[in-house]
Amino acid sequence: MKFALALIAASAISLVASTASAQTKETLTIDLPNDAATLDPHLQWNTDSYSIYRNIFDNLITRDASGTIVPQIATSWKYLDDTTIEFKIRDDVTFQDGSKLTAEDVAFSIKRIVDPALKSPQLSQFDQIKSAEVTDPVTVKITTKSAYPALLAQLVKLSIVPKAYVEKVGNQEFNQKPMGSGPYKLTEWKKGIETDLEAYGSYWRGKPPFQKVVFRAVPDVSTRIADLKTGKADLIRDVPPDQASSIKDGSSTQLFSGPTERVGYLYINAESGPTKDVRVRQAIAYAIDKQGLVDALLEGYGAAVNVVGAEPVFGYTDKVAGYDYDPEKAKALIKEAGAEGATLEFLTSPAYSRALVEAMQQMLNDVGFKVDIASSDQATFLKRRQGDAANAGSLAFGAWSCACQDADGIIFPLFRSGSIWAKYKNDKYDALVDEARSILDETKRKELYAQAYEILRQDVPGLGLYQVYALYGAAKKLKWEPTANEALFVMDMSWQQ
Amino acid sequence: MAQYVAQRLLQAIIAIFGVLTIVFVVMHLSGDPTLLLVPQDASAEMIAQLRSQLGFDRPIGVQYLDYLGGLAHLDFGDSIVQRVPALDIVLSRLPYTIQLAAGALVVAIGFGIPAGVLMATNRGGIIARILSAVVVTGQSVPTFLSGILLIFVFGVTLRWLPTSGSGDFASMIMPSIALGALSMSTFARMTRISIIDELGKDYVRAGRARGLSLSQVVARHVLRNASIPVITIAALEIGNLLAGAVIIETVFAWPGIGQLAIQSIQSRDFLVVQVIVLLISFVYVLTSVLADLVYVIVDPRIRLVR
Repeated sequence: MKFALALIAASAISLVASTASAQTKETLTIDLPNDAATLDPHLQWNTDSYSIYRNIFDNLITRDASGTIVPQIATSWKYLDDTTIEFKIRDDVTFQDGSKLTAEDVAFSIKRIVDPALKSPQLSQFDQIKSAEVTDPVTVKITTKSAYPALLAQLVKLSIVPKAYVEKVGNQEFNQKPMGSGPYKLTEWKKGIETDLEAYGSYWRGKPPFQKVVFRAVPDVSTRIADLKTGKADLIRDVPPDQASSIKDGSSTQLFSGPTERVGYLYINAESGPTKDVRVRQAIAYAIDKQGLVDALLEGYGAAVNVVGAEPVFGYTDKVAGYDYDPEKAKALIKEAGAEGATLEFLTSPAYSRALVEAMQQMLNDVGFKVDIASSDQATFLKRRQGDAANAGSLAFGAWSCACQDADGIIFPLFRSGSIWAKYKNDKYDALVDEARSILDETKRKELYAQAYEILRQDVPGLGLYQVYALYGAAKKLKWEPTANEALFVMDMSWQQ
Repeated sequence: MAQYVAQRLLQAIIAIFGVLTIVFVVMHLSGDPTLLLVPQDASAEMIAQLRSQLGFDRPIGVQYLDYLGGLAHLDFGDSIVQRVPALDIVLSRLPYTIQLAAGALVVAIGFGIPAGVLMATNRGGIIARILSAVVVTGQSVPTFLSGILLIFVFGVTLRWLPTSGSGDFASMIMPSIALGALSMSTFARMTRISIIDELGKDYVRAGRARGLSLSQVVARHVLRNASIPVITIAALEIGNLLAGAVIIETVFAWPGIGQLAIQSIQSRDFLVVQVIVLLISFVYVLTSVLADLVYVIVDPRIRLVR
């Protein structure tokens, strides 16, 4: 009898539960390739970590769907002079423990991330900031070392952490039990398995779309796709282009593809080896069929570009002509330079698509080079690529994004002499990009970048190949619009009935 | 016996120390975690600064002595990537690896040994042929392929089992089979060979002459005598199963130390790698000592002497 009663009770409960879940989606499950490295937003800056922790925290400012910088914790800002900017702070925001977010927390967050003692890998993005001070309860004044036009673009990445809580529990504990003012609070972090978040009821922007969010760590892409197809996951990241169509045509799945600010490019060593000759570099540029790469290897999920940059990036220009695919011109230039049969070392690592590298190898061999692929693990690859020019190979593929949508974050680190990535020196170019990062006038900056891009076109220390499209697989009912900076804000998603 | 164990442990400590040193040197020479930690637009000065904050600019000898100094106090250091004690990270993953290894061992022994016995006693028969086909398949299909095939058939198409995860018994089945398949084949082949060896011996004929059936002889006498090589294999296989689950753990998103090892090596998270290496070498040594001790119990003729 007791058993029968229990059975009835259980079935009643499950009936209630099933009707409830038919109305709203309780838990959103997202498969990422890895677990977060840290949940302290001021420590690791990698896609898996920030995909998770940026849902726990708010940022000082953010970008809207069109990519424009808009207020979040700040309501407005204005430049007092070239190196001083003043932010007004919302006064209706609370942290997840109920305490109020104030200007003190904002100043603390900035000081914390630039404090060498924290050893933050993100320091380089904020090291132009000299100081942050609170001038009244809703105002913070930030001073930079010199005029710094990319400041706002960098501040988009700054999460606001609660001063009192961080000081109370210490850095180590804060990383384990982070607490912010964002739409979701951490319930449990099962290291290496999953991170469980729960909606924060008093979130200032309104009720978050799902009561719970689970981020799972699923390293193998076939498994992520299997999870999506069986409904174990509602959203998966990093779908390879050759798997896109099976998700697009799936009965219960859909494909989100969005152009990003990330650009696939070919680095060409201008300081050492056969590619020291500019004609050889130009020949390489003519020999690569960019559209062919996009069509054949990316299944069309990409767009060929004319420069090392893409449309969502400030400073991008469509005025500079790109190199057209012209193998005959390439052959002529090679002959002129006397570089027939020259051996080019193509550095790569498992982080980059082997098929893409081999396709370019084939294209270059077709016009008369001999390309050797040197594959190593990522740490070794970086050591060579960023090290001495003589040992940095002739070619390497990369997919670059500064997540700041500013040319200063792309062509400055890639080609300004003295930067670890640059194997190229041109004083005129250096002067242009130096000036562009030290003035605030937007029109003037655009002009400078157009000139800089023109020099890069002639010298070809690198070749822009294509704008990367981010590919996500999702359950059919999920509504979301991926953004150019590859952010993953659950607050922007919803579930369609 | 106590002297024997002490001797083996001393050897083990020397071996583990050697492994640690080699891994330390190789990891440090082949790359620097700083480059993997910083955002790509970091300048050379910023990288140098972080490198010095993390202590990687010191000579490798100094770093090594520093590390050994920590070890002497049982301080295994902090993970550079996660900023928590390396030992905690590894220990939190260990139960999953043990669980999976146990599941795989159950598959391997539970299927492998009976299959070996049948293959030995039914030589040339239809059952033996079918079983040897299964054994060869288990041995030759690479785990990344069998793992994905299992997921596709039982996860996506039939929907009987979860495609990934680690929460419950159901999610353990596919990884255990995929991981245990290779060991299963090894067990089956070893069992078959040692039983065939034993079957030719006089005591078997004597038993048969006394009127015992073949299966009675096998069950009562042969199995015990054939078990010594199988125990040796089992000891090695336990080590292999604990250390070799890298691919399976990645395919099934199983959060064990194999997956952790790969990720830590890729991100040059030195101290986590060191703890894993320490642990795995310890397990290898421990299982081989245990195997020696089990020999004595199974076969009293064996004496543990130098």
